[in-house]
Amino acid sequence: MSSALMLDVRSITKTVATQEGALEILQPISLSVATGESLAITGASGSGKSTLLGILAGLDIPSTGDVYLNGNCLTALDEEGRAKVRAENVGFIFQSFQLLPGLTAVENVMLPLELRGDKQARNLAIDFLKHVGLEKRLQHYPQQLSGGEQQRVAIARAFASQPKILFADEPTGNLDSTTGAKIIDLLFELNRTQGATLVLITHEQRLASLCQKNIELSAGSIISQQV
Amino acid sequence: MLALNLLIRNWRSGELKLLSVSIVLAVAVLSGISIFTDRLDSTLLGQSNALLGADIIVESSKPVNQEWADQAAAEHLKQSKTIEFASMVFAGDEMHLAAVKAVEKNYPLRGQLDISQIPFAMNPADIKRAEAAPSQGEVWLDSRLLPQLKIQLGDKLSVGELELSVTQILIREPESGNPFSTVSPRILMNINDVPATQVTQAGSRVNYSWLLASDTSSELENFITWLKPKLSKHEKIEDINNSQERLSRTLESGRNFLLFAAVIAVLLAGVAIAIAARQFSERHTNQVALMKSLGTSATKIRSLYFSQLFILGAVASLFGLVFGYGIQAFVAFNLEKNYNLVLQVAHFSPYIFSFFSGLICITFFALPALWFLPAIPPLKILRRELEVNGLQAWVQGLCAFIAVVFLVALFSQSLKLTATVSLSLLVVVLISFVFSWALLLVSKKFSSSLGGFGRLAFANLQRRKSQSLVQIMVFSIAIMLLLTLTIVRTSLINDWRGQVPVNSPNHFLVNISPADLDDVKSMLVEKNIINSPLYPMIRGRLVQINGTVPSEELVKQANALQREVNLTQAEVLADDNKILQGEWWDKWNKTSLPGVSVEDAVAKSMDLKIGDHLLFSLGGLDLEVEVASIRSLDWKTMRPNFFFIFEPKSLDAFSPMFMTSIYLAPDQKLFINQLLHKHPTITVMELDRIIDQIRNIIDQVSDGIGLVLWLTLAAGSLVLFAAVMSSIDSRKQEAGLLRALGSSQKLILGSVLVEFLVLGVIAGVIATVSSETLLIGMQKFIFHNPIQPHFIYWLIAPICSAAFISALGVLCCRPVVTTPPMVVLREAV
Repeated sequence: MSSALMLDVRSITKTVATQEGALEILQPISLSVATGESLAITGASGSGKSTLLGILAGLDIPSTGDVYLNGNCLTALDEEGRAKVRAENVGFIFQSFQLLPGLTAVENVMLPLELRGDKQARNLAIDFLKHVGLEKRLQHYPQQLSGGEQQRVAIARAFASQPKILFADEPTGNLDSTTGAKIIDLLFELNRTQGATLVLITHEQRLASLCQKNIELSAGSIISQQV
Repeated sequence: MLALNLLIRNWRSGELKLLSVSIVLAVAVLSGISIFTDRLDSTLLGQSNALLGADIIVESSKPVNQEWADQAAAEHLKQSKTIEFASMVFAGDEMHLAAVKAVEKNYPLRGQLDISQIPFAMNPADIKRAEAAPSQGEVWLDSRLLPQLKIQLGDKLSVGELELSVTQILIREPESGNPFSTVSPRILMNINDVPATQVTQAGSRVNYSWLLASDTSSELENFITWLKPKLSKHEKIEDINNSQERLSRTLESGRNFLLFAAVIAVLLAGVAIAIAARQFSERHTNQVALMKSLGTSATKIRSLYFSQLFILGAVASLFGLVFGYGIQAFVAFNLEKNYNLVLQVAHFSPYIFSFFSGLICITFFALPALWFLPAIPPLKILRRELEVNGLQAWVQGLCAFIAVVFLVALFSQSLKLTATVSLSLLVVVLISFVFSWALLLVSKKFSSSLGGFGRLAFANLQRRKSQSLVQIMVFSIAIMLLLTLTIVRTSLINDWRGQVPVNSPNHFLVNISPADLDDVKSMLVEKNIINSPLYPMIRGRLVQINGTVPSEELVKQANALQREVNLTQAEVLADDNKILQGEWWDKWNKTSLPGVSVEDAVAKSMDLKIGDHLLFSLGGLDLEVEVASIRSLDWKTMRPNFFFIFEPKSLDAFSPMFMTSIYLAPDQKLFINQLLHKHPTITVMELDRIIDQIRNIIDQVSDGIGLVLWLTLAAGSLVLFAAVMSSIDSRKQEAGLLRALGSSQKLILGSVLVEFLVLGVIAGVIATVSSETLLIGMQKFIFHNPIQPHFIYWLIAPICSAAFISALGVLCCRPVVTTPPMVVLREAV
């Protein structure tokens, strides 16, 4: 496998057992994303987008097939091993922000840095919050922030740990179109300056069109692919 | 460091408050009780030993063996010797039989001698503590001897050949054993004066006591172990357990109650800790999923959370210890203020035990709830609906049970208490589970006929069935424990108070001659003094059993054969006497001989049977009687009791003297003086001081118990609060949704009220049933009280439980409806 590839997905499938029998959520899927590239995954609800994202990010494992993330074969690793790969490479942005309600904005951004044992966690977190325009909201709790502000904190948190690849699950899904547009701009601007690979799930065509690669899923299969 | 940072943040967000308060409370109650019990124990034991005058006494009919005394000295034990004998004392033309106690200067080793310059002094200002026992040439005597001998302080008095100066009135002295043993008034003199009196010759009846005390109980125990095998049949060891059985029993049941209360408080706090930990872990599911998605390993998650828990446990336990110390210091302060009782300093062990009990609570009650956190899959961050398998409920229950058994065993160090509490707890959990399940099922059918918020409430109960079940079980256990504790406390205190009822006889008038009888009666009527019936009493010795003189061996084993005993005749059997064999006079088939009823223990010591013939010598005259009945009697009551009660009229020919018991209020004490002036031959036994002392100790223990009950109530309320709060998150979300859809506050609060009302009633009923079950075990195996149902609580408990729980439910859920729905829904995201 080429080291220039950040993600290399080889014929992965995902099958789950249900009361009605085995359900195939993902048909065999193969794709690759080079370092620094951006990939948008689109599709209707239930098409398997989130399942695919989970597998690509190493949060879950496929039923068959292999996933290589920055040269690490995720399917060959146990959960502890995958956690190590995630810690070194991956950042996340979620649709529902996933900020911890008991922590202030700056503490939310600090958390992944602290988990890595970064001694400069606070300074770095403040820098990133300043960068996303929240320098006056450092000590605010999530419930004191608007949806857009919460997502900006989430973006600051994702980039603060300087990930090599960033996974974003419907990053604008909970925001109005104006706020969503601003968040998209911020996301891509940070992605450019940090040089990270970006994989995102979205319903928004504008957001998808900003990515270098696009795949569309339907019933667990890639039905269109733009490279 | 990161764990500490996270802990501080979690604390700030308020998520740890319930957990911390529960731990603080558990440790506060435990440390408060154990430090207090420890202090009270040593103090009361010290006080009880003060009644004895020593930690132990070796009683003998001969002076103490010098080798033993040397060994005691080598073991650094404090020792003091006394000699007791009865002797006539003379003052001018007057004489009187006195109970002489000759003591060393350091007597007593425990407690004190109270003396006064005023006869019959009751006012504390007139009484002082003697710094040392009488010096040579001095004698201190009982107030009543002054009028009997017609002397004043400073006068001379002769004991045998020796003349001594009366320098003090003896008000109070350590009183060993049965107060009836000192019928004659007391005289206290120096032991070195005894040879000069020449009254203790070979063969005289003299009792030698060797008093021992030590500041370290282990030294004394070692010495007792060394000494015991060396004791002959003529020597016996007296300690507080065998000399003051009543007090010892009070102390024992008081200690058991306090331990039981401590156990209940820990159990309650443990349940609160478990609920709070569960709530904490549920709220942290997302945080852990996020941390894992960011690449944090399960090992790191485990170490982060467990470290937080143990840091919190240690800090909260320290706070608990400080609070516990404060609580017991407050009680100690009140005891000192109200009873002038200064508690001794506690040992170090209660502090250590209490601190570690906080950590044990954390390990067994909280840790299981958090156990699943490291196992949360990282995918949960994307898919909230993913099920996370926590530690199974039965495993969590088992952990809690192990903690309870461990803590009960640790604090009570009693296998019986541990077994009773553990088994009862198992039964109660089982009963409450089955009952709650059945009652919820019934309530489902009942709910279909309801409208409005009633239906909503029942629908909620059914929908949250497992949560409702847990809540009912927690409510039931908390109420059951509180109910049991209240009932036990009430019956225990009543039982104690019943031992020395207010206005029970506190003085005995003995040796009333038939000639004085009428005048004594009229004096009592004139002064409005209530007396019990006048018993004829004569002293006599049992000389033959079935025509044979008792063997030396039998005399040795039967105390009543060694001396003259008090005999009486009575027509009616006293309340506290019970016929075990044979018949009382009304049913007895009279033979040619008069009948006698014999006390059970005495009958056993002499191997007496119904129909045996006994020959008594009464002042040189013989009386042969037949054993008509054998009866038990309660020596613990303050009433006079007799080993031998004869058939009515059988003692008439022997000119018996009479005795009665009277109650004298403190302001009536002078009556004794007047009575003895008029009838100097009457002997007065003053038991009021002993009764006061016993009542005082009972009051102290009762007060301590009262406070402990309040502390446990606080723990119980915390559990109820925690149980209500455990469902608050989901309620908030639902209420927000209902409000957004236009439901009124009234509908939501109304349904909450009905829901908790139903939970309260069910819990109240289960608690009452379980409490009665637990009480049977407690009364039977621990407190040894008769088992009886408590019907009044069958009504009170469900009503109070429903009222309290529904009020608590509405109060806790009020913010749910007063907060704007938008805020509630946004917080729930």
